[in-house]
Amino acid sequence: MRNSTSLKQEFLKKWIKGLQVCNSSSEKKMTIMERKKAIKMSADIAMASTRNGTTCWSRAVIANSTQSNRVVVERILGPHKPSRSVSMVMHKKILKKSRRVCSSRSRRVLMRKRDVAKTRSIAKRLVWKKTRVLKSLVPGGEFMEDEMCLIAETLDYIVSLRAQVDVMRCLATTTEFINGK
Amino acid sequence: MNRALPEMLNCMNAPGTFLAGNCTDMTVLERQRARMKWHLHEHNDPIQLHQQQQGYNFSGNELSGVFSVPIPAGQAQGFMGLVCGDSAVKPDPCSENRWAELGYGSCGLVVNNNGAAGFEEMINGRNNNSNISRTFSCPPTVAAEKKSNDAVLSQKISLPTGKESFKKRKADKVQSNKAVAAEDDSTEKRMKGCAEEGDSKITEQTSTKNNTNNDRESSGDTSKDNSKASEVQKPDYIHVRARRGQATDSHSLAERVRREKISERMKYLQDLVPGCNKITGKAGMLDEIINYVQSLQRQVEFLSMKLAAVNPRLDFNIDDLFAKEMFPACAANFPTIGMSSEMTNSAYVQFNPVQQMVSSCGLDMGINSSDLALRRTISAPVSIPETFLDTSCFTQAPPTAIWDADLQNLFNVEFQQGRTTPFQSQPFTGSIEASNLKMEM
Repeated sequence: MRNSTSLKQEFLKKWIKGLQVCNSSSEKKMTIMERKKAIKMSADIAMASTRNGTTCWSRAVIANSTQSNRVVVERILGPHKPSRSVSMVMHKKILKKSRRVCSSRSRRVLMRKRDVAKTRSIAKRLVWKKTRVLKSLVPGGEFMEDEMCLIAETLDYIVSLRAQVDVMRCLATTTEFINGK
Repeated sequence: MNRALPEMLNCMNAPGTFLAGNCTDMTVLERQRARMKWHLHEHNDPIQLHQQQQGYNFSGNELSGVFSVPIPAGQAQGFMGLVCGDSAVKPDPCSENRWAELGYGSCGLVVNNNGAAGFEEMINGRNNNSNISRTFSCPPTVAAEKKSNDAVLSQKISLPTGKESFKKRKADKVQSNKAVAAEDDSTEKRMKGCAEEGDSKITEQTSTKNNTNNDRESSGDTSKDNSKASEVQKPDYIHVRARRGQATDSHSLAERVRREKISERMKYLQDLVPGCNKITGKAGMLDEIINYVQSLQRQVEFLSMKLAAVNPRLDFNIDDLFAKEMFPACAANFPTIGMSSEMTNSAYVQFNPVQQMVSSCGLDMGINSSDLALRRTISAPVSIPETFLDTSCFTQAPPTAIWDADLQNLFNVEFQQGRTTPFQSQPFTGSIEASNLKMEM
């Protein structure tokens, strides 16, 4: 039973930690775009890490950002790092394998689906198209074959995005307030 | 009580059908209230009512103004924004919880279904009844159902979520026991001992059917308890029933279960995504969801940009300190702060106590389904009178307490801010840079 408040607090803690790591890792002065990127990345990683790897989207976010910035991810993920990294490697392996499988399979699926779509109604195709768009939006959604899984992940993703937006907005207003005073 | 008055007045604006509709079966309390409302109605025409309401708004505004004087306008606005966001997010606790439970494993599903079933029951049962019985009756039903998880599991799947299930149930009733027995035979592999359940279910149905009025709830409970006794020792298989004419082979059964689950989750999504509950059809809903996710992602982009612009050094140490002090209070009081500044917003005044109710429900008791029900009633404009009935019975006791808490929270925040201001001497140089940056942008 977690409510949104504890989620927000956890997210904030992790986010700030990540920001500090970002800050300490780069000594030179950053441009505004770099800063923005760092902030967004750390926020995303923090958000994903609040899920403790229980959801696909959070794993996908972490896996994607591990490629670009390993240090921040490892710091934010914190003390569970060793076991997590092992599982992460496993996960990556699986991901790679599944990617290979998916690419071969999806072609077949695509062909079949095209045939089916011709015969079926337009609405079905519309839904399918939109599902694809949604899959592209939700991190890691490309690997969700199951619609049920996709919807569940979307639910979770929306909830955490909302929390993220809330905390970020709060921080933005407060910093603005401090600086503007 | 003072606050309940404008509520009442407000409700008078709503169509009078409410009174006419509800007069048939009202408890003494409701009748009294209705009489009071009539009384008020005689004395005040709608315009006056409106004015009064406005006046009330203003007083509310002043009230909150008094306490937020030290907070500058920008900050107040910030909080407002925060509040707006938060008011939208308020369903979070419950939906999230529900989600989390939904997501993983069947036990979560059961708990979930509790809420859904309770809610469904509430919808089904009393179309013409007052809302009071709904909201009051909700927690006990949930509790009862939680006790009888197995029972709910088996019941639940036989009545797929939503209103149509009620109709289906009716249809089942017409088909009577024979059909049930036949179905049971056909799908016996999967569900042993279904006949028993079916019987108990039927008794429950009949009992709910027979009791047309307020006491329906209680009798439903008792019958459920009765059925619980017989169903507690059931193993944890999934109980699926095929109706007449439906395929019974395992593939189509599984497919049906899957579709039901999908539609259930879609319903949760509908609750979660604002403005999605009017849309029917999967494509439209997906569209709305896509838009919402995109907007949230864009918001994140924008906010990170904003933060990057505001903080020239990517240094949140001060904020860290400040967050440690401020955020626990702030975060804990998100909903309540939301309430108090929503007071200033005239559009929200009529819903205010309701939302407080919601928030207090969510915080204190964590009753999901009642929360949901309240939200439902809030979201539907037609049901203002119902919400009124809800609130009026609640507002008599707790409003002062809530208010106190509210004001205290406000004070808290203020106090925290006062405390944090000494720390803010350092970032001044940074702020100049930031403004420069802004100019450059």
